Amino acid sequence: MSSTTAESGLARARRGVAPGGSGTAPGKRKSKLSAQATRTFFWLLLPSVILLVLIHGYPLIEAAIQATHDGNLLQTGNFVGGENFATVLSSAAFWKAAQFTLWFTIVGVFGSWLVGLGLALLLRTKIPAGNTFKVLLLLPWVVPIVVSSTAWNWLVATPDSLIPSIFRNLGLGTPLFLADPTLAAVTVMMFKVWVSFPFMMMMTSAALASVDNTVYEAASMDGASRWQQFTQITLPLIARSTYISWILMTIFCVNDFPTIYLLTGGGPVNATTSLVVLAYRTVFQDFATGPGVAIAFLMTMTLVVISVILYRQIRKSSVE
Amino acid sequence: MNVQSAENRSFSRRGFLGLTAAAASVPLLAACGGGSASQGGGGAGGSIKFWDMPWATPAYNDAAKGIAEGFSGAKGGKASYQIIQWANFYQTFSSAIASKTGPAVSTGGGFQAFQFEQQGQIAYADKVIEKLKSNGQFDDFLPGVLDPFKSDKGYVAVPWQLDMRVFWYRKSLFEKANVALPTDWPSLLEAGKALKKIGAVGFATGAGTGNNYANHSMIMMMVNNGGGVFNKDGELDLLNDRNVEAMEFVLELVSNGIVDPAAVSYTTDNMSAQWKDGKAGFGLFQVNVPQRVGDTSGDLLVADPIKGPHGDKATIVFPNNIMMYTNTPSQEASEDFLVYYLGQLKQLWQKKLMSALPVFKSITEIPEFADDPNNVKIVKDWQPIAKTFASQGNTLNANLAALDGGQALNQFSQSIITGKADAKTALQTFQSGLESVLKK
Amino acid sequence: MSAVLHAHPESGPALGIAETGKTRKVLSEAGMRGRWWRFVLILVITAIVLVPIMVTVLLAFTPGPNSTTSGLTFENISNVFSKTLAGTWLQNSLITTLATVVVSVAVAAPAGYVLSRGRSKAVSGYSLLLFVMQSLPIITSVVPLFILFAGMGLVDNLLGITIIYVGSTMTVATWMMAAYFDSIPISLEEASWIDGCSVFGSFTKVVLRNSLPGVLSTAIFAFLLAWNDYLVAIVFLRSNEIFTLPMGVQSFFQQNATDWTSVMALAVVMMLPPIIVFATLNKYFSVGGIGGSLAGR
Repeated sequence: MSSTTAESGLARARRGVAPGGSGTAPGKRKSKLSAQATRTFFWLLLPSVILLVLIHGYPLIEAAIQATHDGNLLQTGNFVGGENFATVLSSAAFWKAAQFTLWFTIVGVFGSWLVGLGLALLLRTKIPAGNTFKVLLLLPWVVPIVVSSTAWNWLVATPDSLIPSIFRNLGLGTPLFLADPTLAAVTVMMFKVWVSFPFMMMMTSAALASVDNTVYEAASMDGASRWQQFTQITLPLIARSTYISWILMTIFCVNDFPTIYLLTGGGPVNATTSLVVLAYRTVFQDFATGPGVAIAFLMTMTLVVISVILYRQIRKSSVE
Repeated sequence: MNVQSAENRSFSRRGFLGLTAAAASVPLLAACGGGSASQGGGGAGGSIKFWDMPWATPAYNDAAKGIAEGFSGAKGGKASYQIIQWANFYQTFSSAIASKTGPAVSTGGGFQAFQFEQQGQIAYADKVIEKLKSNGQFDDFLPGVLDPFKSDKGYVAVPWQLDMRVFWYRKSLFEKANVALPTDWPSLLEAGKALKKIGAVGFATGAGTGNNYANHSMIMMMVNNGGGVFNKDGELDLLNDRNVEAMEFVLELVSNGIVDPAAVSYTTDNMSAQWKDGKAGFGLFQVNVPQRVGDTSGDLLVADPIKGPHGDKATIVFPNNIMMYTNTPSQEASEDFLVYYLGQLKQLWQKKLMSALPVFKSITEIPEFADDPNNVKIVKDWQPIAKTFASQGNTLNANLAALDGGQALNQFSQSIITGKADAKTALQTFQSGLESVLKK
Repeated sequence: MSAVLHAHPESGPALGIAETGKTRKVLSEAGMRGRWWRFVLILVITAIVLVPIMVTVLLAFTPGPNSTTSGLTFENISNVFSKTLAGTWLQNSLITTLATVVVSVAVAAPAGYVLSRGRSKAVSGYSLLLFVMQSLPIITSVVPLFILFAGMGLVDNLLGITIIYVGSTMTVATWMMAAYFDSIPISLEEASWIDGCSVFGSFTKVVLRNSLPGVLSTAIFAFLLAWNDYLVAIVFLRSNEIFTLPMGVQSFFQQNATDWTSVMALAVVMMLPPIIVFATLNKYFSVGGIGGSLAGR
């Protein structure tokens, strides 16, 4: 229904990101208001530009300088070009952390999405006190991580903690959730899913709210099963919102510091060290500023690449 | 000199960017009411900014604040007191110093003074030492506590408390296990096995997030065997036979289940709970453990130092220190303040606020301190054999900051207490990890 | 497609209410049994999910180690208010957070409008820039920012951290607003232009007025970010009397011990305002929540 012809590259991309079903201004109106619009747009954008330069641009330049020098937080040091990047890229710790970050992000994004989707579908139906549950289920997102990580620690850290005790009483042995490298990685991911699913639940709830129920009625008249309805109607209808939530959660996961650091500190033996944790520890515990910031830079670049790929998906889904 | 010029460059560049931004935003922000941030190490009126850490309960900081604010300098100088939180403290100090809003005098991380000295921000304390000599306090220092701070250029900082690592034990558990207190490594192993039989831990430690006790236990065992991270010349020396022997012994403890298999993830709170709940029978901890873990039974006691296989006896200590910065309203006032503050330290132990040894003999003799036999034992038996993180080396340096709490040591002790690597391989990895971070 | 019927934000029904009309039929078919079965299911899930939070709340109401009372008590919470500056911290947090929310929306809404309606290369470049620049983790930005802000006298005060919070939320917030504006038909503005409205006038009078759910969701995003941050606050704030609540929580962590009773008590205090916000805004939120604004309808 919308006329995409009048739009140039970005506007289309923007519409991809924001899949509003609205129409677009025909070309002639654009020219009529064009001069005034440009002027107004400039002023509307200005505060945001100032803040972007101040809060993001300046530290980014500083970081670029640090990443290419051999100094520390107080002194810039000498220019070393790509040496820090070479050091980082040739270290096993970096690749191990990159691998963990990848898994952490995949589980974090899809785990929280699946849980959030399930709960959103459940809450979509009429349930007594449904609104209360909705608010209660948002709590993991609201509680400060410093506090919830401690609570999780109490539940799993020692053999006598609640969860290992339950396992023991069920005859399943005494799992050491934070001491075993694999289990620690799993625990940290579970923790991330626990923290993040409310966000996904909210996103999905909102997207589901826009799905018209008459669609289902028509579908069930045609003999579609519940599952078919879900995969062929619900999912496609919320696809764009889903991609956006994936992008945002990818950023949140890759950039996540406190969730991992406060629960495991990156251990045991680096089993849960993500790139941000590695960057932090390299800068502030090994005091190797250049390599640490280089790690942050590489991470950022990867993040941008991933997001661009996900964008494409969105664009595709909005064309359909 | 090179360092100096690099520093100037970076400061002026930052200064320039800062000014530009400031010029651009001042009209905008002026209306919003500016900051209360005072400039320079002194702030207005030349008062001395003193920054302190939460070393103990809030009552400690109240008392320390009282002392700092009681200062009145020769020219009517005053001091202000500021608590700096432990979380991200290095960022806090670095950014404050870089922006010239840092303190004139501060406590801080154990090796922080050496880091900032390397960056040209520390004022040497030689004149303070002179003054301590003239007022008699110099002779009051416990033996050896001042030496680690003496560099080629002068005293980098002055110690004010000793964070000791000593073995503690729970008496009732040893009675229950019917085993003697360890005096050397073989008896430590035996005791551990006996404790294990009654479900207790014979080498309590922890390496979870923010917990350095496993790190300290590893270095302690190396030093206890005449080894350590550095040799007498201050060179990295991890692969010596003594270290290998020490780590093989710890691995033996691990394989016998004497180290808690979950210890690798224990935070200090998890560890304290193990001590309080009567799970921990023996292990390395700090001063004042009963108070820390909240145990009033009188069952937790300081053990004797134990002998290594070659007859060595040693432990490690972190001499926490007070440093002065070059950015001060008056260096003389900084020095006067530091001398004054050291003279008032006794109050903190009189009020029983500290979980560390004092550096002054006279304080170890006050009744509030000496009434506790555990304290007396630490001063008598452990302090004389305590070595710093520099191990066999004599002076501290900035590299130790990257060792303490750095990734290499953390990874090393985690791999040892999980028994995931043999001693040589673990030490090898540790050595190469440290080599890549330490400045030559 | 019939979903278009809901394209107008003002017609979007709240999630809870949405079912009242069309689903009633479906419900009667599913019957009360399914309804209660789902209730039990969600009850169990919620209970499991909330275990760590219940631990926190329980500890906040359990007497501390030096207490003489037994059973559950409000003592810890009243203690943090009487013995620390928790009241001041709460006030600081509220001021900072509200300022962040208001300014974030005030900055992000106009910028989002430009991103939504603008068609030039510059605008498209800016959209990408917004995204790229906010990818750098905050832990590497804090030190340079501090040095910059110290030069402007903006450290150790609430204005400084508010500016940083606005800057940090602004990028995502701008996107969220842009996405929401995309769902508003441009025909509304066109009509107002014909009536003689300026571009700015139609933005404020037509677009913004119809964007309450988008604004709210952006506001809540900003609220949570500013409310829970401690990584910035810990470097920027020094004086006890200008701490925010997360900083207050940090102040209970000492060298050798942590005052967990106070930590948990303050944590419970910290949880309340967001809960109140969520509960109050729930009906707008479900529809126009973060998802809603981005998802479009």
